This record gives sequence, structure tokens and C-alpha cells, in this order.
Amino acid sequence: MRVLLFGTCLVDTFFPEVGEATVRLLRRFGATPVFPKGQTCCGQPAFNAGHEADARTAAAHFLSVFDGDDPIVTPSGSCAAMVKHHYPDLFRGDPRMLAKAERAGERIHELTQFLVHVARAHEAGLRGKGRITYHSSCHLTRSLGVREEPLLLLRSMKGATFVPMPDAGRCCGFGGTFMAKLPEISCALAEEKAVSIEATGADTVTGCDSGCLMNIADAMKRRGTAVRVAHLAQLLAEGL
Amino acid sequence: MSGADLAAHFLENAAKAAAGTHRVSGVEGLQGAIARIVPPDVPVHCPGVTEVEKAVAGLFADRRAEYAAAAVTVEEVFGAVAETGSLVCASEGGRAVQAGLLPSHHVAIVRRDHIFATLNDLFSAVASAPPTNLTLVTGPSRTADIELTLAIGVHGPEKLDVIVV
Amino acid sequence: MSHGQTTLSFRENSVRALGDDALRAAMKQAADTFGTRRADAFAPVTAVEALRDRASAIREEVLKDLPGYVERFAASAARAGATVHRAKNATAAREIIARILSDRGAKRIVKGKSMVSEEVDLNAHLEAAGMEVVETDLGEYIIQMEGEAPSHIIVPAIHKNRRQVGKLFAERLGVPYSEDPQVLTKIARKALREKFLTADAGISGANFAAADTGSIVLFTNEGNGRMVTTVPPLHVAILSIEKMIPSLADLPDFIRLLPRSATGQPITSYVSVITGPRKPGDATGAKELHIVLLDNGRTEILAGESRDILKCIRCGACMNVCPVYRTVGGHSYGWTYPGPMGLILTALLTGMAKSHPVVDASTLCGACVEVCPVRVPLVPLILQLRRRKVREGFSGPMEKRGMALFGKVAASPFLFALGQRLAALFWPVVRVLGGKDVAGRLPAPARVPFRRKAS
Repeated sequence: MRVLLFGTCLVDTFFPEVGEATVRLLRRFGATPVFPKGQTCCGQPAFNAGHEADARTAAAHFLSVFDGDDPIVTPSGSCAAMVKHHYPDLFRGDPRMLAKAERAGERIHELTQFLVHVARAHEAGLRGKGRITYHSSCHLTRSLGVREEPLLLLRSMKGATFVPMPDAGRCCGFGGTFMAKLPEISCALAEEKAVSIEATGADTVTGCDSGCLMNIADAMKRRGTAVRVAHLAQLLAEGL
Repeated sequence: MSGADLAAHFLENAAKAAAGTHRVSGVEGLQGAIARIVPPDVPVHCPGVTEVEKAVAGLFADRRAEYAAAAVTVEEVFGAVAETGSLVCASEGGRAVQAGLLPSHHVAIVRRDHIFATLNDLFSAVASAPPTNLTLVTGPSRTADIELTLAIGVHGPEKLDVIVV
Repeated sequence: MSHGQTTLSFRENSVRALGDDALRAAMKQAADTFGTRRADAFAPVTAVEALRDRASAIREEVLKDLPGYVERFAASAARAGATVHRAKNATAAREIIARILSDRGAKRIVKGKSMVSEEVDLNAHLEAAGMEVVETDLGEYIIQMEGEAPSHIIVPAIHKNRRQVGKLFAERLGVPYSEDPQVLTKIARKALREKFLTADAGISGANFAAADTGSIVLFTNEGNGRMVTTVPPLHVAILSIEKMIPSLADLPDFIRLLPRSATGQPITSYVSVITGPRKPGDATGAKELHIVLLDNGRTEILAGESRDILKCIRCGACMNVCPVYRTVGGHSYGWTYPGPMGLILTALLTGMAKSHPVVDASTLCGACVEVCPVRVPLVPLILQLRRRKVREGFSGPMEKRGMALFGKVAASPFLFALGQRLAALFWPVVRVLGGKDVAGRLPAPARVPFRRKAS
């Protein structure tokens, strides 16, 4: 099965290892991942800050790069949510683009959605190690409705112990442009998240959104916490 | 739900809201409950208007017409709602609803057949022609304004006893 | 609105709040408590989603013809013997109420909690006219004594701890110091009892107004709301026009939702339904009832794209779960209404020029949408306001240019790749330019970005 891989701007620029892990996972589970070279960003930063026209420019480019019928897979809950829920709003006045946007929304999968519902990876004998705790990102859970899939995958990893985090669903403070506009509050929220993570005694914290993980990693660095921060794709790929 | 079940359901929910709950039958039962609940020698306000109130009014040595001067109000109320464990206090028939508000102890008597099963039952009955004042009373007065810590007994009664007869 | 904090200085306010350890501790405890209580309260309720759907539908029905419902309410209330006044704005509301009171020589006024009265700054106006205004809700009583504004729409003194309240009472009331909430509550009971019994008038808000019968409905716990509305001879109720429900028969679902959403109670100690003043044959009720219906910008909101905020029933559930609110508290928002519903209403009622910073006070996490009992689309409303902020020119020139550049780079793989290379090459410079608050929190770009590895 041919799938189009949307790496996301954060993974592309800062966390290529997440992209590489995603490719390995997709190949392991029978998909042929293709990386359309023209891809850039889904447009969330502009959209969240109210700059609709600039968001539309980014979105139009995305839709042209990812045109077609192949499934799209992305290791980011917030980016998948952007395409699914907000792209149609951006193109309300343009029937041709609206149709593309709605189609893209149907075709896009966040990685764990694909791994569980299409690849049934949670039944495939995944492996892991150490004590892992999980931050459930806001857009992933509330916008996209992806709550169980990451947990199914985590719990299926033989050799790893999953330790639930207190208040796992509380926002880490990244919020896209929020971390730049109100950095003090953003840091305070990330700090609280770091404290929750430390309370679990885990050696690794994972999640499905690089923005969140980046924000959490920064807070833990400030606190000198020696907990590894890794995207779930990385942990799963390491166990292959 | 049968009348008996309704009464039980009502009292169960009233108890959850920190009301004292009592179930009696007949005048003797009622008088016995009152004797247990109301301390002797305290100033009591009892309107003595309804049959139920008349049955107990004579028990009080120190009866006050002014509810503001009373420590306890003993009265029959309009009805109750089982769903929430609430009393329904209404100004119908010249009742002074605030008689159950000012004293620190409110003893409310409710007839078993005046218990509504649900809020919908109550409000569809009164929606077209409500009295001047209709108040649902559930437990004693309370607040959580200081550190969200529950404190019972603020401006309204500090103690509520409910008797189903 | 407290100690000179304005909406425009939201960021500065929040930084100050972050450094206030007592406030942080109080807000953290509150957030944890609200979470547990709300969950416990809804646990035994079957079909919660259907309940929310019904309540949401009732509110939407009302908004379809709000002016019609308001007219019907006014007529019904007048038939029930109340005097109904329409206040177009805050000034009108203050003047109407002051006149009602001064015409009757009212000097001592007891007040139940009313956020709308804060919105129009009523107390200061009445006090300037020589009246004694006594806040009787315990939380309001505390902050009135402290000279502060409420920081939460349900629990006004949530930002205070018991030691602060104990100290306040000891200083102002001359009572022995105690930090026991039970003791402090009894002190307030005693102090306020006399005020209730000697007041010339009572002012209250209302949670709902039933159009069919002209009834107002108050959800209270302390008994002060009942005192204020039935003990003094004169009762003035002020409420904003969006509080309408069609009929008292619509009340049950709100009784099931509002207390659980607000404080985690299955029902408040008291739900009072007041229909007109005392009538011949009554022994309950104020002799005179005046109802002031406040517009103050709602008609305009109703006509615009953000009308769904008018569905709000003021339960406070959204602020209880908001990561921003629970970190910086209500005073940071600089006006009457904080948290998610608050920032939306503030921007709409006070205008983008005065309040655009609070529009950014959200991570768009959606926790509020999850708990809103009447399904107000809070996150879409915030996004809408951000688009409006940009359209009306309040987003700042650097941001506008930055976003335009973003658009161009996002539409050009060449520029995007170039941007990556430059960022990686000049990262130390980017860090300095971007500041330690923002760029300083990002890792260095990967030496080889994913696009060059992906085949």
C-alpha cells in the first residue's frame, strides 16, 4: 500500500529521527511510504494566530503536494487535526479546493491511527524497554479523538512498563503560537508537566506530537531531569 | 415508582445533602419525631395553619409568631422532589417561605403523597402559574467560598430535618 | 479591574501572577478540587450527552429570537406585578438602579452575587451616591472587605487562602484570628445577619429568566440570595438579556447541569423561582420588585458571527479546566469575566482595541469545550476573535510581516529548505534574535533535515 508521508515542519527541521522511525514503521507494516518532496508546513501557526490568508496559502500548497487518493500518514495529531477540521473552513468559498480539502481530510491518518486501525500493529508483538509514561496531546485527543490508539500500542510493547501520568490530559503549554506569545505561562505549564512526569518514576516520556515533546523537553532540561523524551514512533521503531 | 419507594428515594437523596431524615406515620409518629428532633425549651416558630402543623403545634412550650426570633421553625411544606432530595417551599396560601430561612434549624414536614418523582414532574405542574415564591431547599445552607472547603450553615439554616408523614 | 490591572496588560499581569506563590498554590488546589468534584458529580448521571444536547438546544432556540423572548418576559413580569426596566448600557443600568433606590430613600443595600453588577460597576456608583452596599455572598463579602474584584464567576475569592481570610476578618471585624473555614463562616453569618434584617433594599442577579411567566430563577447555597430577595421591602434584580429560557418547564435540565458543572454539586442548596412581588394574600416576597434587563452590547453580539457565546449559562466549568486560567487566576484578565468564556465576552463587550491581548490567552487545548454544559463552541469562537484581531489591525506589524513570510515559505519548498539551512547554519544568531523566551526553548535544527534523508 502506497502512503504519502507528511513529516511536518517540526519533524523535518528539528526531529528527523521521528521521520526516519515513521518510515521504518510504515515499511515494517506493509506500507510503501513516499515522501512528496514539495511538502512544507500544514499552516497551523498562521491559522492559530488568526492569519487566515497566510494559512490558506500554506494549505493550498499542502493540498497540491498531497493531491491524489493515496492515504496520508503523519506523526502529528495537531497537523492531522488541522487538515481534517480546519482545511474545509479555509476553502469554504472555493468548491474545487473545498472538495480537495475534504478529500484530504478523509485520507489523512495520524500515525497511531494508521498503526492500530490499518496495520493492527498492537497485535504484532511490539517490543520496548524501560518505564515509559505518556503525554496525551490536546489536539490529538480532543480534536482528532485519538485516545486509545497510543495506549494500545504502548501497552502491547513487551519488555516495557507503561506508567500512566497523573493529569496526562492537561495541556503542556505549547499551544503552537502560544509558546511564543505568552512564554512565561507556557513555561509554567511545561514545568507542571515535568513535575507530573517526574512523579511517575519513568525513564522515558513519550507522545505523538513533536511540539508538545519539544516544550516538555525544554522544561525538563531546565529542571535537570534525566528523563528521555522520545516520540512514540521512535520507541516503536527501536523495538522492531 | 410506588409512593413508598418515592418517599425512600426522596429521603435517601435528602440525606446525601446533609439533611436529617425521618419517616413516620400518623399523628403519634409525627409527634414522636418532633419530640426527638426539637430540643425542649427553645423558641419555636410553628404556623399551626395546616392539619399537620396543628397536630404538633401544641408540643412547643415557647412558640413564637415572629420567625426571626425563633431558633427552630417547624412547618409543613408544599412538597418534595425525590430526584434531588429537595423540599418544595411555596408561598401559596399565604405561607411565609422565609420562615424556614431565618432560624438556624428548619424542620420541614412533607406529606408522602406530595412528593414529585422528578424535577420535570414538579415544573410541568407549576410552570404555567407559579406562586410568587417557589424555592427548592436541599439540605442546610452551605458555602465553599474559602479554599473550596465545605462549611455547613451560612446565612440560611445550619440544620435541616425532613419528616415524611 | 483589581489593583489597576487592565486587559491590555494581560501579559504583565500574568507574569506578576506567576510570581505570586500564594496565588499559584490556591489556584492549583482549586483546579484539582474542581476536577475531582465535577467528575464525581457527573459519574452517576446517565445520558449526560443527551442532557447537554437538550440544554444546548434550548439556548439555541432562545437565541433564534432573543428580542421576542425578552419582550415576552417583560410583559409577563409586568403582569406579575414587577416593574421592568431596559438598560441599554452600563451607565443606564447604574442610573436606573440608583434612581429606584434613592427615590425610596434606600440607604442600606444588601447584595447577592451578581457578575452583571460587576460588569456595570454598580457598587461604586451607589456608594458615591451615599448608599451603604453590603455584599452578602461570603466570597464577595471577603473581596469587598479587601477592595478587590472577583477572580472567578462562581467562587469570587478563590485566589485567597484561609490564612489571608482569617487575617482580614481579624483586622477588619476585630474578631480573634482563626483560619478555620467553619469558624470564619460563622463570623460572617453573625456579621451579616443584622444587615439583612435592617436593609432598605436587596439587589440580586438571576441565573435564568422564564419568558412565559416573567419569573427569575436564582441558584444559591448560602441563603443570602434568599434573604436579599425576600427580607427587605424592595428587591432590584439585574440580569443580562441572554439569561432567557422559554418557560419554567425548561428549568429541570439546567438544574441538573449548572450546579454539577459549577461546583460539583448535584443541586445547590436553594433554587428560588420568583414571580413578581408580594401580592394580596402573600406572606412572602418583596413589596416592590424591579427587574433591570441589561443589554450592554448583547444585541450587537447577537447580530454577529460570535453570537454562540450568548448561550453561556455562567457555570464557570470552562475556567476551572483552562490551563491558562488555573495558572494565572482571574485578575490577570483585567475585567469581570475570566477564562475561556470570559476572554471571549471581554473582547466582544469591550472591543478589540481595549482587550486584544486576552484573545491570545489560550492554548486552544479544548478542555473547555469538553466540559461546557451547553456546548458553546469556545475554541472556534476564540479562533474567530483572532481572525478579527488580525483584520482590525491589532496583530502588530512584526507579526503580520512574519506571517506573510511564513505563508511564502510554506508555499515554496525551495524557500523552506533554504530557511532550514540558514537556521541550522546561523542558529546561535537566530537564538539571540528570537530571544531566550522563545528561540531559547527550541533545540538546534538538525544538521541534516528529514527531507534530505527521506528517499
